[in-house]
Amino acid sequence: MSQARQYELVYIVSPDATEQDVADLHEQVASTIARLQGELMKTENWGRRKLAYRIGKHREGTYVLEVFTGTGELTKELDRRLKVFDRVIRHLIVRVDEELRVAERTRARRQVDSDRRAARRPESARDRSADGADDSDGGDADAEVDNG
Amino acid sequence: MADDRRGSAGPSKGRGSSRGDKSGRRSMYRRRKVCKFCADKIDYIDYKDVRMLTPFIPERAKILPRRISGTCATHQRKLQTAIKRARLLALIPYLTD
Repeated sequence: MSQARQYELVYIVSPDATEQDVADLHEQVASTIARLQGELMKTENWGRRKLAYRIGKHREGTYVLEVFTGTGELTKELDRRLKVFDRVIRHLIVRVDEELRVAERTRARRQVDSDRRAARRPESARDRSADGADDSDGGDADAEVDNG
Repeated sequence: MADDRRGSAGPSKGRGSSRGDKSGRRSMYRRRKVCKFCADKIDYIDYKDVRMLTPFIPERAKILPRRISGTCATHQRKLQTAIKRARLLALIPYLTD
């Protein structure tokens, strides 16, 4: 509860919608987020993509991704609103902060592990190289003796 | 880099041929499968990244089982949710016939 929840919202806008419609829709979403004390962090428009299967009678659609923080109430409100719009043919809201935190933690752990391993490795490498140096020294000494 | 990865990550193809070899001789050396996500150090399987998911959805668009892909349990679970989310968004198909 201490940290804000981060969500990703992806919605598909019907292909007959104009650029202006898409912009209006984004404006609506942004204002809803702002109204409920959320914060819009990122918006990505993927443009028009072909759908992997037909949704209703549509074969393609405009994808828009919004990343925001907020409360569960906000997602409920967004969900309700997006259901109402005819132009939005599909939408998905996913909470991502927990998964991202887990990913971050595993990455940190791996970093620590590899650091530790790296710290251990030079020692053994040095030992081996020291042995090698001894050997080569011995070889040199032998050679010198031969020369002598 | 992405192309390169896709080439190496065609589990359905590469493994298929190796399985053919195995059936020929029972006691053949079996190549150990390594989880692709562990090997590539991918912590977060993104449902939006279709290119990452495609190697795990063969022709019929079913999710490739662990016994074939060699993915570890943790990553298979994450992959499963990622694929299901991507399906909902029509990024990848539910089924193809």
